[in-house]
Amino acid sequence: MHAVVAIKQVPDTTNVRIDPDTGTLIREGVPAIVNPYDVHALEMAVRLKERFGGQVTVLTMGPPKAAEALIECVEQGADRAILLSDRKFGGADTLATSYVLAGAIEAIRAEGPVDLLLFGKQAIDGDTAQVGPGVATRLGVPLITYAIEIEAFDPLARTAIVHRRTELGVEVLETALPALLTVEKEIAAIARAPLPNLVRAARYRPEVWDAAQPVAFDAAKLGIKGSPTVVGRAFTPAAKAPGEQIEVAALGLPAVIERALTRLEAAGVLAAGPPSAGGPGGGP
Amino acid sequence: MGADLRFDAIVVGGGPAGVAAAITMAKGGLDCVLIERGRFAGAKNLFGGVLYTHALADILPDYWSRQPPFERPVTEQGYWLLSPDSAMRILHKGECYKGEPAAAYTALRARFDPWFAEQAVREGVLVIPKTTVTEVRRDDQGRAIGVATDRPEGEVSAPIVVLAEGVNNLLTQQLGLARGDLPPRYVALAVKEVIGLPSAEIEARFGLAGPQEGVAIDIFGDATLGLPGTAFLYTDTKAVSIGVGLLLEELVHHNLRPYEVLARFKAHPAVRPYLAGGTPLEYGAHLIPEQGYDRMPQLVADGVLVVGDAACMVDALHREGTNLAMTAGRLAGETALEAHREQDFSARALRAYRRRLAESFVLKDLKQYRRMTDLLDSTPDLLGTYVNFINEAAQRYFTAHGIPKREMEAEILGLLRERRSFLGVARDLMRLLRGMRG
Repeated sequence: MHAVVAIKQVPDTTNVRIDPDTGTLIREGVPAIVNPYDVHALEMAVRLKERFGGQVTVLTMGPPKAAEALIECVEQGADRAILLSDRKFGGADTLATSYVLAGAIEAIRAEGPVDLLLFGKQAIDGDTAQVGPGVATRLGVPLITYAIEIEAFDPLARTAIVHRRTELGVEVLETALPALLTVEKEIAAIARAPLPNLVRAARYRPEVWDAAQPVAFDAAKLGIKGSPTVVGRAFTPAAKAPGEQIEVAALGLPAVIERALTRLEAAGVLAAGPPSAGGPGGGP
Repeated sequence: MGADLRFDAIVVGGGPAGVAAAITMAKGGLDCVLIERGRFAGAKNLFGGVLYTHALADILPDYWSRQPPFERPVTEQGYWLLSPDSAMRILHKGECYKGEPAAAYTALRARFDPWFAEQAVREGVLVIPKTTVTEVRRDDQGRAIGVATDRPEGEVSAPIVVLAEGVNNLLTQQLGLARGDLPPRYVALAVKEVIGLPSAEIEARFGLAGPQEGVAIDIFGDATLGLPGTAFLYTDTKAVSIGVGLLLEELVHHNLRPYEVLARFKAHPAVRPYLAGGTPLEYGAHLIPEQGYDRMPQLVADGVLVVGDAACMVDALHREGTNLAMTAGRLAGETALEAHREQDFSARALRAYRRRLAESFVLKDLKQYRRMTDLLDSTPDLLGTYVNFINEAAQRYFTAHGIPKREMEAEILGLLRERRSFLGVARDLMRLLRGMRG
């Protein structure tokens, strides 16, 4: 079993502040972490490795500092870590990023078969949720987003049954492998890494791939050049005014209901209709 | 995998003492692992802010070329004696402080400690973060043979373990080397804020020529409500570090919250102007072991050496700790190298560490000031009484009131006698002298 997990190093947005003038994140002094959803994706891969044997490869595109994040992944159980790092990659949007990741994954697949591609459902700094689907599309593999459980996984028959969350409920899907999953945190709870992993990670240096080696990327599709996304404006929305509070104790319940309905009708939320003759509970 | 987790030496804790020990051992050719419970070395560490370079130079003679992340050299230092509404300032500055590298720098541990640990990695030390050592493993004869950690498959073996676990020395206690938790009368709680200010603003406020100059001020008296303790105000590159430390017992006894003491100190009329308009960047608190020479833990056992705060190596009077810790770490490292050469890790052999310490300033200073904490503890009003007296006396002395000087002198004497009898003054002086002389 060979699983490839794509991760991103992100600022820890639980501590992050927004610059009120520019509307952008203040990254200075904020610790960098592995995107939390990606940590769960990696955990899922490590569980599958424990069960079926094989290996877990983790990759990321980022500045040299992102090697720290990859080493944390080795601590968690990744066997091999690849850092895609080149000035030419800088400033990439989701289109250019998925181009590079897909190219790197193709190169990994050329070395040997890959059964599963795992991504976090989105990164907590950009929140686009586009890179996973973008890579699946480029590679032409089945895509399952918002995965919360792998019910069955059969690397020999090359099929898996995956649960995915939708707004209406849970879909249970059977897919051929390799497939690409973007995952929610429920996919796997994080286990405390064993000490030998940390010892290995302390000695580990990730492989660094640049824009020319071992994959010769098309320079026109990289970085800012390859990124059609334009941020028109960034702003902090004004705080919403609090809603009206009506005191039940002061007015009595029927009066409060009356007033609430009037307000909803006035706001166009409820269609104005004849007041029910029987009062509360007295419907047709 | 099991074979991977055998080392020549294990260091518990990534502070200055532990890293100093690890670097010394790695330079001597030992395969050394350092285990740190924080997210990175230094993540859990805090100090006021002055770091002395002599101890660092003994460990890494080329430390300057490795670009340590210091804040400012200390080119002016001294004391402020604070009464509730005035301050007597005794500061020393001079050309003597202008050499590079300087004898002392202000520093922030969240930056310095990771740098120091990185030097250990460069020397070949394996640094394992995010892992807590839970037990020192011993064989049936009580000799240390390794440690257990809070991770699965978390055992590591080595014939020698250096405990640099800091003030909360649970392993040292577990081994029976320390008698139990520090009593509140011998441990200080220090709280500190780092307040951001533009570099040029700091230089204007403190009268500094540029970023090549910095101030370190220790403050007594009203800063701690006259109670046994000290406060400090140090300049960093783009911030000032301000804090206050009090014996835990005093905080409890007077029902004081440390952050309230700090807030009160920051509002003092002599202090406030230095902080005005600054942005609070960090707030931290830490315990300081001040039980002194006579109550230090045992420093060695079979296969075990104890260094730094875990061994209570703090000279509170001179705000020294990291230099004692680094020197102790280095001496422990040298002893471990010797033990490996002789293949003798017994407590008897490791006692060479204690002898080395006794010959160094570390134990000599701790021994000399062994009575200081007790002195302050037994005379809790000492600082407040005299600091207030000095301020009132100074005000009389420096101001013309249209009265003859002899009357002014008598008035000053009267101010003292209101507070203490002649005998009382004599006794305080004697005890202070004994405390200083050792």
